[in-house]
Amino acid sequence: MSDAIQVKQLRKEFKSVSSRSGLKGAFRDLLTRNYKIVPAVNDINFTVKKGEMVAYIGENGAGKSTTIKMLTGILEPTAGEITVNGMNPHKEREKFTQTIGVVFGQRSQLWWDIAVQESFRLLKKVYKVSDEQYNDHMEHVIKTLDIGPLLDKPVRKLSLGQRMRCELAAALIHNPPLLFLDEPTIGLDVLVKMKIREFLKEINKKYNTTILLTTHDLGDIEALCERVIMLDEGQIIYDGELQSLKDNWAEEKQVHFQFIEPVELHELQSLPLPFTANWVYDEKHQTYMAMMKEESDHISQLVSAVVSHFKIKDVKIHETSIEEIVRNIYEEGTV
Amino acid sequence: MFYVSMFFQYVSQYMKTRLQYRADFFMEILSDLLNQVVNLVFILVVFGHTQFLSGWSREEIIFIYGFFLIPFALFSSFFNIWDFNDRYIVKGEMDRILTRPIHSLFQVILERIELESLFGVVTGLIIIFYSGASLNLELAWYDPILFVIFAVGGALAYAAIFVAIASIGFWSDAKTSIMPMMYNIGNYGRYPVDIYNKVIRFVLTWVLPFAFVGVYPASYFLRKEEWYAYAFATPVIGLVFFTVSVFIWNQGVKRYRGAGN
Repeated sequence: MSDAIQVKQLRKEFKSVSSRSGLKGAFRDLLTRNYKIVPAVNDINFTVKKGEMVAYIGENGAGKSTTIKMLTGILEPTAGEITVNGMNPHKEREKFTQTIGVVFGQRSQLWWDIAVQESFRLLKKVYKVSDEQYNDHMEHVIKTLDIGPLLDKPVRKLSLGQRMRCELAAALIHNPPLLFLDEPTIGLDVLVKMKIREFLKEINKKYNTTILLTTHDLGDIEALCERVIMLDEGQIIYDGELQSLKDNWAEEKQVHFQFIEPVELHELQSLPLPFTANWVYDEKHQTYMAMMKEESDHISQLVSAVVSHFKIKDVKIHETSIEEIVRNIYEEGTV
Repeated sequence: MFYVSMFFQYVSQYMKTRLQYRADFFMEILSDLLNQVVNLVFILVVFGHTQFLSGWSREEIIFIYGFFLIPFALFSSFFNIWDFNDRYIVKGEMDRILTRPIHSLFQVILERIELESLFGVVTGLIIIFYSGASLNLELAWYDPILFVIFAVGGALAYAAIFVAIASIGFWSDAKTSIMPMMYNIGNYGRYPVDIYNKVIRFVLTWVLPFAFVGVYPASYFLRKEEWYAYAFATPVIGLVFFTVSVFIWNQGVKRYRGAGN
């Protein structure tokens, strides 16, 4: 068994009521309902190998969470086959959950009112982890995530960043070979994000932990995942390397400049550059924006050219977000 | 065995949570005790005016009432799931429950325990001893054992109804007012069932077995031999109904739709 996750023709349908318009419609709804069957996940196939780190991305409502919930045994699929860690998640739920760790960014695993270590202690019992295993493994986790000083504080007194690190540690108490992370860095500051990314990389290396994460943060994916599965309207529209996705769809890089003294657009356009950059003036923010292909050292060339001619107040390099990539793909059809 | 140890783990977690708020903790105990005293006075005042009710004496009715309080207290301490739909289904807490290797109903129950309600057992015992003494009831050596079995059986019957109703939430996420209504119907079990008409009696025995929480088991201790068959059926009814409700729950979990983020 070298596959951690195998998904075949997986489908999940939700039944939803579509209401008729008007008062008359409301009365008719009372008697006969119009049900509409909406497929949230539409016949998808993929496999994830052991030790892989995969980003599962897509716009809101694309079916990411629904898939994750089926993979973790929370939801029962309408049709299709799932084998995760060699088991059917929903059928053998209680045995299965021993082998996975789950972090839902917006939901807490920890007991709100009591110290973090008490939550850990209970989870340790829930997952039947022995003292040696716990000490051996968690000592390291606690040290790497730097949560030692937080252990005796009640969860409600922690900041979001502190809590997320504790959540992550809590999901790893039984050292699962497979980890599901749903928006693990949502709302966190850069330092915490970096710490979490470093940590995930480390456990992946040390224990060969398979990680499947959903995120809206391109930084997460770049730091962690070589492989990206992209979902739209319940279907997989891309499954492959992150780099080729970006090469094809995020070719435009935007650099925003703010100048101390007023500058004319044509002055910028006539700057000597070995490549073409499109300049646009943004009246609302009083900034000038250069758009160009993302290649080797173009950004540094651009910035040095601008800086040598004008005094600048601020520079921002705009990273293409996942949403924009998805939108690009969506607008132009298939990958 | 694992489940027994988990039970105590969760109880200790619960105690720790309670002890976090010291003032709150003492206030709650005080208000619970006060609540029970009010209950007690209320019963004595209300029943002070009745003498006989279709063949039951005042003391007997008080005894049944007292007995009812005991399974009811067990039920309310361990099956505090009246807000299951809001808390676990609408808010999606069920997601978290389902990612842990313990039966989902067991986890929900353990997370919601409310041990303060056990004070009701004390009140119930006081009432039973008070009315039992005035009735000159005799106790056989095995009666305390039967008492525990009947009380647990009654609590299970009570719990079964509420677990089944909580499971409705898996099928329909609309708010229902069935829960409060059930609490009302549950109160009928505190009085002798033969004061009601036949239909209500049938319902309280075989459909919503609230009569097995109060009058049926209590009538054994009151030595009402015509009710013995029902009294001894209490643990069986409790187990059967509870098993069915767990089955309904398990079916419901398969239908769980989850909540969006």
